[in-house]
Amino acid sequence: MEKKSSWFTILVVIVLIGIISTGCAKATEVPQSTEEVQPTEVAQPTAVPEKSQIVVVIAEDPPSFNPAVGQTGFDSLVMELVMLALADVDEKGNAYPQIATELPTVDNGGVVIDEENGIMDVTWKLRQDIKWADGVPVTADDVVFTYDALVDPNFGYWVPGIDYVDGVEKIDDYTAVVHYNTIYPGYQTQFGGYLMSVWPAHYCVIDENQGFTNWDCGKQPLSNGPYILKEWVQNDHLTFVRNPDYYEAGKPAIDEVIVKIVPDEATRKLMLVEGDADLDMWTPENVIAELKDASNVEVSLSTVDRWVMRIFFNFAAKGTTDPVATPHPLFSDVRVRKAIQMAIDTQTISDEFWYGFAKPVWTEFFRPPYDKCDVPQPVFDPEGAKALLEEAGWIDQDGDGVRECHGCTTGAEEGYKMEMEFITYSEYGQTLDNTQEYLAEKLGELGMKLNISRVEGAVLWDTAANGGIEQSGNFDMDIWDDGYSGSDPTDFLWVYYYSEAGVPDVGQNYGRYVNPTVDELIDASYTLDEAARQEAFCQLASILAEDLPELILFTTVDANAHSTRLQGVQSNANEIVTWNVENWTLQTP
Amino acid sequence: MGHYVVRRILQAIPLMVIVSIVLFALVNLAPGGPLAGRGQSRRLRPEQIAALKRQFGLDQPLYKRYIFWLVGNDWTKIDMDGDGIKESYGQGKGILRGDFGMSYRTRTPVINSIGGAFKNTAYLMSVTLLIVAIIAIPVGVISAVKQYSFFDIVVTTMSFMGQAIPEFWLGLILLLVFYVWLRNPMTGDSLLPVGGMYTLGTEFSIVDWAKHLILPVMMGVVGWVTWYSRFLRSSMLDVIHQDYVRTARAKGLSMNKVYFKHALRNALLPLVTVFALDLPYIFAGSLYVEIIFSWPGMGRLYYQAAIDRDYPVLMAVLTIGTMMVIASNLLADIVYAKLDPRIHYD
Repeated sequence: MEKKSSWFTILVVIVLIGIISTGCAKATEVPQSTEEVQPTEVAQPTAVPEKSQIVVVIAEDPPSFNPAVGQTGFDSLVMELVMLALADVDEKGNAYPQIATELPTVDNGGVVIDEENGIMDVTWKLRQDIKWADGVPVTADDVVFTYDALVDPNFGYWVPGIDYVDGVEKIDDYTAVVHYNTIYPGYQTQFGGYLMSVWPAHYCVIDENQGFTNWDCGKQPLSNGPYILKEWVQNDHLTFVRNPDYYEAGKPAIDEVIVKIVPDEATRKLMLVEGDADLDMWTPENVIAELKDASNVEVSLSTVDRWVMRIFFNFAAKGTTDPVATPHPLFSDVRVRKAIQMAIDTQTISDEFWYGFAKPVWTEFFRPPYDKCDVPQPVFDPEGAKALLEEAGWIDQDGDGVRECHGCTTGAEEGYKMEMEFITYSEYGQTLDNTQEYLAEKLGELGMKLNISRVEGAVLWDTAANGGIEQSGNFDMDIWDDGYSGSDPTDFLWVYYYSEAGVPDVGQNYGRYVNPTVDELIDASYTLDEAARQEAFCQLASILAEDLPELILFTTVDANAHSTRLQGVQSNANEIVTWNVENWTLQTP
Repeated sequence: MGHYVVRRILQAIPLMVIVSIVLFALVNLAPGGPLAGRGQSRRLRPEQIAALKRQFGLDQPLYKRYIFWLVGNDWTKIDMDGDGIKESYGQGKGILRGDFGMSYRTRTPVINSIGGAFKNTAYLMSVTLLIVAIIAIPVGVISAVKQYSFFDIVVTTMSFMGQAIPEFWLGLILLLVFYVWLRNPMTGDSLLPVGGMYTLGTEFSIVDWAKHLILPVMMGVVGWVTWYSRFLRSSMLDVIHQDYVRTARAKGLSMNKVYFKHALRNALLPLVTVFALDLPYIFAGSLYVEIIFSWPGMGRLYYQAAIDRDYPVLMAVLTIGTMMVIASNLLADIVYAKLDPRIHYD
């Protein structure tokens, strides 16, 4: 019996160690209190009975408060709680000033263009009533510091547009000038949007050990936004308390925001329905539909969509990146791409798999202010698609249901089967999986054999040097989603359609589409002349509709489910749901 | 025994080295990489890719990365700014000096992430195993002693059901029953909390922590109890037909003494081995339990690291896991010798 007792003793000791050590963990895991550096922060007294509090549930612990580096969305969510930018983006995609007093434009003298040299200066005037949580004012030094951190050779980071900046100059404490070496239309969110904020020069550190990508202030941020980080227990929760010195008087209205890490989607939904959560970030379409009957839950949908589901055709043979030397045996013929477009019924896909929340679109230029181009909606015509394939030399002569090359013009050998790999990424979930399978089935009816493949995003979008599928051109046809934030599509167009962006690891022109006219038009759109931009974009829209380097299918909705008591939530596809957290209120029962 | 333990520990060193080389190669050569990003819109320029590689040490050949991971790089100069000049000493101390490196995802020391998650998982899993032992041992013994009785049939049926139920599904059902359907009659709140380790914003309370344990433990216990009770039943059946048990009965000992003192002691021997080999689970945790009940443990940490290709975190978890396996094997042998006087290692 003594031996059995010792066996149990081992177990009991393990349990006791576990309990004791974990009991202590609550205290030890808390990162250094921001109160050390934020003397003005006063902890909310527990005696206050009416302390308002909301619980936001998200799937993952944010890597840091610096989303430019992590780009997980969860870092953007917490950044928006504590950090301000020069300008942010509203739900319609328009920039609006935050730290800046106004948006610099040519009209108000904030933007000065040197036409002769093709460069411009942007002058940002800052509000003088914004302070960091330690009482130090937010000044032009912070803007200059943020730029210096971005271009630091050791720990700097590339963000869109930073290549076009030659320097940032402090004029006075509340004025900074950004010197551009070109005309850059996206200047308004250069230090803003959902990825960038202005960082405190007196608090963050750039030295041989840390900088923008890894600095300590990205984990223990000094707030100048509506909330202050009070506690961060890794993988469990973050607690934010109201910033009493927030520059907008009376805001925010809610005293405390708890961001709870709840990895399981079903659990998050239950918490929302049961009233234990007030906001579930990024609600997928099936959950939106399931929440329809929950009386205490509303779903905020984005007013302007950003994310576009699209098919990427590889113009170069699989595994290569030169569409001229090694053209793709199928997709180098526009008629094949066109036939696929004609055979896809996007409305049915939206209704059947996306619960009606997907909106068919067929051009990059579907959202304001550049939605004025006349691009006719493609007609769903499977019979026409078949005829087009026949015309292109793809005929099923052996009767096995898969077409072969018989006189095709892509360089494929006679008898080459119309068979290809059809890839998507596995993290998106069931809706995209179903869509992929449906497309494979429908295109199969057309005589194309699509072999479905799903890979992790870490494999699909890895660098070319590391064998990333897209960057190394190791694919036939893919489907996934992307879109641009804000109202300026210029960088996005460059990245996806400019010929130079087809060089591995330079851009995202994964199909290696090359059209000199498109390059010229994209170059021409780097201007602040709105009429010229509109003209360039409409010409681009027409060419892209003809060439079909990508097949634009439909938009997906940006949705966030929240309790009915939480008011003011507005999903913003250009941003993250906490973009307007300072305006949220709690409805008293 | 002392010599034996020392010899086993010494033997474990080359084994650890070999395993670590294999793991390092597998982790680093697996498809995908930490620079892939997770959003489609993540755009890295070639210069940025080069800079990140330098920061992560990925610009070095694989063998050098392994050496740096093992012994650190603070003894050699490295090129941080990409100008081709090795200007400063590295910061890593290597795992031999207790430095697991920096997480690619959080850019914080890996040990910070591992430490908290390990405590949480050890807490959950040790309670789970204790409950498993408390239930499985008597159930296994009684099932064997009362072979083919109604109790045995019921237990056997439930065991098969328990093994067949998908763990993930069971967790969701538990949530549905104890969080959504059943209510505390006094307060009207859910009977049990939805997840986490404690109620946020409250003072430490044993009751509160215990309530948060119930559902995750239940979810974990079901599979393990069925496994251990079946194992013990089988082991007991072997033992109770031995001569010495018959002798004990013939001596007129009470049935409790016969079964729980004489038979169980011997029946537990193979179970000890199995149990000791399961000990690494205390470290590894259960991914499903941790996901459904929002438990910030090792399973989730590892899963996240795998998605992000966070090599330092992956290597830390795998290395510690390997050490646990080796240690638990040694522990099994030691405990076995303690329980069975016939076994001598020296």
